[in-house]
Formats: sequence, C-alpha cells, structure tokens
Amino acid sequence: MKLQENVSVIQLLALVINFQIGSSIVVGLAGQAKQDAWIAVLIATVVGVGVAYFYYKLLSFCPGKNLYEILEFSFGRIIAVGVSLLFIGFFFYIAARVSRDFAEMMTSAILPNTPIEAINLLLMLLVAYILYLGLEPLARTAEIFSPYIVIFFGLLTLLLWVSGDISIRQVQPVLAYGWAPIAKTVFPDLMSFPFGELVVFTAIMCYTTKFRYAGKVAMVGVGIAGLLVGFSTAMQIMVLGVDSVARSNFPLLSAAREVSVAQFIERIDAFVVFIMMLGIVIKCSVYMFAAFKGIEYVFKMPYRPFVFPITMVISLFTVMIAFNFAEHIDEGLNYTIPYFNATMEYAVPLILFVVTYIKVRKQRKKKGAEKA
Amino acid sequence: MINWIQKIFFPSKIQRKQSTPDELVPEEGTEKVLNGDIQSIHAEMNKAFGKSADFKAGELKIGGKRGFAFYLDSMTDSKGINEIITKTLSDPTAKQYRINNEEELKGFCREFFSASAYQIISYQHELVWQLLSGSAVIVVEGIEGAVSIDLKTSEHRSIVEPSTQTVVRGPKDGFVESIMVNVSLIRRRIKNPHLQFEAFQIGKDTRTTVYVAYIDNIVNLGIRNEVIKRIKSIEANAIFESGNIEEFIADKTWTPFPLAYNTERPDSIAGHLLEGKVAILVDGSPFVLSVPVTIVDFFEISEDYYEPFMMGSFVRFIRYLSFLIALVTPAFYVAVITYHHELIPTQLLLGIIAQREGVPFPALVEVLLMEITFEILREAGVRMPRAVGQTVSIVGALVIGQAAVEAGIVSASMVIVVAVTAIANFVSPVYSFASASRLLRFIMILLSAGFGLYGVLIGLVAMVAHLSSLRSFGVPYLAPVAPFVWEDQNDVFIRFPIWGMKKRPRYLDTQAPIKQPGSKSPTPPPEGDGS
Repeated sequence: MKLQENVSVIQLLALVINFQIGSSIVVGLAGQAKQDAWIAVLIATVVGVGVAYFYYKLLSFCPGKNLYEILEFSFGRIIAVGVSLLFIGFFFYIAARVSRDFAEMMTSAILPNTPIEAINLLLMLLVAYILYLGLEPLARTAEIFSPYIVIFFGLLTLLLWVSGDISIRQVQPVLAYGWAPIAKTVFPDLMSFPFGELVVFTAIMCYTTKFRYAGKVAMVGVGIAGLLVGFSTAMQIMVLGVDSVARSNFPLLSAAREVSVAQFIERIDAFVVFIMMLGIVIKCSVYMFAAFKGIEYVFKMPYRPFVFPITMVISLFTVMIAFNFAEHIDEGLNYTIPYFNATMEYAVPLILFVVTYIKVRKQRKKKGAEKA
Repeated sequence: MINWIQKIFFPSKIQRKQSTPDELVPEEGTEKVLNGDIQSIHAEMNKAFGKSADFKAGELKIGGKRGFAFYLDSMTDSKGINEIITKTLSDPTAKQYRINNEEELKGFCREFFSASAYQIISYQHELVWQLLSGSAVIVVEGIEGAVSIDLKTSEHRSIVEPSTQTVVRGPKDGFVESIMVNVSLIRRRIKNPHLQFEAFQIGKDTRTTVYVAYIDNIVNLGIRNEVIKRIKSIEANAIFESGNIEEFIADKTWTPFPLAYNTERPDSIAGHLLEGKVAILVDGSPFVLSVPVTIVDFFEISEDYYEPFMMGSFVRFIRYLSFLIALVTPAFYVAVITYHHELIPTQLLLGIIAQREGVPFPALVEVLLMEITFEILREAGVRMPRAVGQTVSIVGALVIGQAAVEAGIVSASMVIVVAVTAIANFVSPVYSFASASRLLRFIMILLSAGFGLYGVLIGLVAMVAHLSSLRSFGVPYLAPVAPFVWEDQNDVFIRFPIWGMKKRPRYLDTQAPIKQPGSKSPTPPPEGDGS
C-alpha cells in the first residue's frame, strides 16, 4: 500500500474551484452592496488571490509539511496540539455549517416533506464514504465533476437568456451608493467567507505532486471560482432584481425557477441543486479531511477509523447548531465571520507566518555559518 | 482464549491438509528416481492411477530389453501410438539396436523418435505429469530415466464467430477452449519474436495451464512482474475459467466493476498487447483476460477502429449514454413520479397520471416488480434449453408487455422505462461490465424512492468516488480522465483517425511510448508543388 496520497496539479485546481463555489452559490453573497454585489465579489476575488498566495508562501517555508506539522515546527508540540485542536474544531464547525446551508435549501425548496436530519445524514454518509476512500478519490471525484459544473452554469445562463429573464437594467445604476458599501462587504465579510476559507488548503496543498506550481494553481483556481461566483451574483441580480435577491434565502435557486423555454423546459431547479450539491460535497469533504489530518497529527494514528463515527456526530451537530435557518444565517454573519473566521483564517496564520519566517531564516543562517 | 474461539469457529486453520496428490508434487528430497526397476514402476503407476479405465500399460521389447509403455488412452492419439511406438519398435534396424545405458537410450531416441517431440525424464512424478498431459512414456529395464513422447490429441472445437462481442465489420474468428489454438490466433496477428508467452500451472487439483502473454519490449515491466507475481501466488485447487483467475488477481474484491478485461476476440487481445497490456490465457476457457484495464476500455470494441473514425466516435458516445441510461432511468422515473412532478411538462404529466390511476402500487413497487420480472426473464433466456426458447419469449413478451398493463398491475410508461433500460444495458460490449450497472440500478432505485433526485445524485457521486478509488494493477481505473492525461484523450470520448494516434497510453508507462512516429494524414500534397 502507498503511504502518501498525492494530488495532481489539475486535481488541486478542481478542488479549489469546487471548494470556493461550494456554499457561496447556495446562499447569496454580498447582499449589503445591493446591485453592486458582483463588483464586491470581483474585488474580493483579487484579494482572495493574494490570500491564496499567502497560504502557499506559509507552506513553502517547510515543503512537504502540512499546517499542523508547521505549527509543531514553529511552536513545539504542546502548543501545536492546542492550536491544532482549535483548528480541528473550527474545520468541523464550518463543515457542519456548510452542510446545514445545503440541507436547509433541500428542505425548503426540493424535498419539503423530508426531515432535515435525513437529508443531512445521507450527505454525511457520502462524505464519510469519500473520506474513507481517501484524498485521492476525493480529488479525482472533484476532477470528474468540475466540467459538468461549468457546463451546467453555461446552460443555466443560456436558458435564462433564451427565456428573456436577464435584464441588464437591474444592475444599473452602477455604484449608486459609492464605494463605501462595497468596501464594507469586501472587508471583513467576503474576505472571510468564502475567500479566507482557503486556510484549509494549508492542510492539503502540501500533498501536491508538483508543489512549486501549487501556489500558482491555487491562485488561478481562486480567480476562476471568483469569476464564476461574481458572474452568478450578477446573474441573480439581473434576473430577480435587488429586492428579490435580498429577500430570497437561496437566490440562485430562485433565479433558476424563472427559466421557461418553449413551455417544455421549466422548473429546472432540481438540476441546479446538482451544481450546488457537488460543490457542497467537495467543500464539506475538504474541511473534514483537513480536520481528520489534524486528528491524525494530534493522536498520532491513521484517521480512517475515526471517519464514520465522527462524521455521524457532525451530522447530528449540523442539525443542532441552530434552531432554524434565520438563526443559522444570523450566527454566520454576526458571530462566526467576525470572531471565529477572522481569528483562524488570518490572525493565527499570520502569527505562524512570522514565527516560521524568523525560524527558517535563523536555521538558514546557521547552516550557512556551518558551511563557512 | 482467542485460540480457543478460533478452534471452534475456524477449524480450517488447524486442519490444513492439502489435497494435492503426492505423486504430482512430492515434498522436496522425497522425489523418486526412475531407476530401471520396471516392475516396481509398473506397480507404482497402477497404484497412482488406480482403476482408471483409460490408463494403459503395455509390455514391449526395446533394444533387446523388456520395457513398459504407459499412456492415457483419452489424452493420446491412438494413431500416433500405433505409428510411432509399435511401428518403430518392430522395425528390423530398431530390433538390432542394443540399449545398455542411458546414453544408448538417448541415441536410440535420436535415431528412431526424432520425428516426434520426445524428452528424457528422470523422476517418477515427472512421469505421472507427462502421462496426464498426453504423452506416452517408455521405461526400459535396467536403464535409468525414461522416454516421454508427446502424442497429445489436438481435439478442439472449431474456430467460430464469438458469441459475445459480435461485429459487423472485422475478423469473425474467436478464441476456443484449447490454449494452443488461442496462442496461434494471437501469434498469427502479431508476427514478432518479442511477443512472449510464459507458462504456469495453476490449481492444485487441476494443474491448469495458464499463459501470460506480453510483448517484452513494449510492456511496462513493473506491471508484467506484478501480474506474474500475483499469478504465481494463486493458491486455488481448481481453475476452470479465466473468471477464476480474475477473482484471484483483482486489486479489490468488494466492487461490482470488473478489474480485468475479458474477451473472445483475438483482434482485441492483439490490440491490447500492442498497447502494452498483459494478456492471460487459461486452458479450457475461450475468454482471455487483459490487464491492466481502465473503465474506458469497457466502452470500446475493436470494431471502433475498423469503421470510419467519425462513426467510431459516435457509437462510443452512444455507449456512454446507454450506460447512464441503463443505470439511472428507472431511478429517475421513480424520483420524478414520486417527488418532482414539476419537472415533467404538464401535458405529459397528465398522461402519466391518467395511466397510473388504475395502478394500485407506488412507483417504487411498480418498478421493482417490473425490473425483477425482467431479470428473471433474462436469466431464463440465457439458461433455458434452446428448444423451449420460443415459449419463454412469447410468454415473456405477453406478461411483461401488454397483459401486465391491461391487468392494471403496471402502467404503460413503466413498461417503456424498463424496456429502454434493458436495451441500453445490452449495448455494453463487455458482459461483465454490463452486470455492474445491473446491480447498481437497484441501489439507485432505492435511493431515488427515499430521496428523489437528490438520492440519485448522491448515488452517482458515491459511484464515481468508488470508481476513482479503484485500481487495476496500480493503474487508476478512471485514467485517463481522472487523473487527467491530456495526451491520451485521442482515444477516450473521440477516437482519432488511426494515423493521429501516435502514442501508446501514457498511464501504462510503456517502454516504447511512441508507436507510430511517422504516421501522417493521407492528404495528398497540393497540386503544382513542384517536387
């Protein structure tokens, strides 16, 4: 058996794109920026590319080591275990949130009579199965389904356009409220969700076969995903108008319901769920995988025996994190993003970055001195 | 304590007695030498073969000494025995020949048996083995060693068109049960000394001949060695079909998907060998295996390469589509009928609901009823004696078709769904691959009954994840799609013209990655080119 699982460059690209699209197309983004939401997303994408480079740089100090091993390298095992536990909790929590987003959408839009627990359980069983198979199957699955996501996106746009629902007037006037609301949404909301979430890739990127390309690929992936999300945001506004988008819980789904071509292709929302589900499955699996890698580090044993039990616990947790969707979103916007996300995605990695940088330089100097 | 439990529940671990006959594979150091004591050898052989009616031992005179000729009537050619042994020995010059030691025995053979394949053997278990593989063995009194003359009968079914994987255009010969004929069918297509067949004897009780074939300057040596290693480590008592081998050498058992390609077509195997794969031939089976395999291979048939490339690509697309149809159509129907009415155009929905009005069952029961009926019919169709075929097909057509609808048990649209599924399932060129979709279809139906389209999608993603975890001799099952290999895309969804396929598949990592470097498009040079 192979000890180390690897991810090819293309697979990393597919993972990043799917991950970034993931829940951000389920729940709409940048609602405060009104009709300029798409501009906000695009600006945040540029920032996101920078963020991807930052995480890559952090990893490239110690090639081949993942987040947890770098923590140990910089702070020693005891502190590293503590911080790792924080990261593990964070990843599990976000995984639960992601799956809750999706399950809420399923219950409210597609399967109204099915309890959310059942939908969630099925999703988590799938995630557990994929994780049990390992990182390689996860990456390959992402690789296989990525083209379909792009095709479905194109098809959806085409159908909306053909049925005459897209009206460019809905996004006019551009910049009616100036730059202030855009800046407010980009920072901190969009920075932490979805772009800061790339922090989980610090536990995965190191398994890329050609690591020196990993940074570039992650940046390209974030770019593509940002363009797609920005595009979908713009499309939602053009189809529904600012007010409906603001009122709708799942704007892309609402937009897809507008499709009506030749009285034959109607109500394709069940298919749109397909795009979303793939993104969600990948995103959830990536988060869980990163967390399991942490468990592997903390407990010093392979993660596979943990997969099914922990995933099932998370499945329960998903249902318990909030009583209803409104509370769930409220928690996300007002508590998780400003406190939790900002800390784990930026503060801790930044400290880690500085410490690792100093340590690596010291080591190099030492080596240089020894050589001389 | 654990030992005690083991003793109760797994007694086989303790009683580990092999049924291998000692005569064939004696323990090391106990091999019996043929020492010229013909009476005792005769007695031993009689003991070994017991009451077999086809075991013959004839006393004869050779080189002025007494001897015995042993052979199995059933395995040898009686005409050969007559001509080679009886005639030779009654030849006047042979009668004058004197044999006093092993050298002279060899000389005798050189002189009189040179027309047929003979060899000198020196151990008793070799003697048994030679008899079983169709030789006649002569032992001479007082001489060490024995002469074994190959008199194998070459009786086999004549070469006919394969019953699976039939083609419209392409060679019509198929493999038969005789391994030698199969080898010749492959050799005739590849006249290349690098094409090699390594022989193994597998099966403790059956001693089946298994050939591992490869082209030694193309094949990936790592893969070849792995195949040979796995074949050597097979601890089976009997091998009757290549399917037995397949189960022993597969990378993973818990999967509905076949991890080795099997075919009756020599041209397919020749093509695979030239791509750099390894073929496994089993004596007694017309199905030859080829490894490593990727899922793409199961959507290809040799005819794709004989037809114009556009047609070849089109039918390939049809095959991919049919696989999907066979897999999800019933599940999709159940999901839409049960959960997503809004997906159906109103007119059609009204029609379907009107049909279903008289049907007392939910869609799930209806579809399971029909699918299982169909599976039963199908199994009956394969297994029944040819003479009663008519009856079954008439009854089947009536039951599954009109009568069931008229009786109000199922709706007419359901019959269409099941029929489309069934026909799509038959499109798959490899039977064992089609059975995978047959099994998974039921899982999909159950998922769709519980969760609608969401369940079907979950099922599909799980299937893809499962597929991407599979490997066949180290090669990812979904290569060249995932992991994506750009160079190999010329033979996946679209078959490029033959001259455009310059390279061997990269995922096989062969020794000679480029197969036809100079191939060019047949476009003539523009007129007035001068040269």
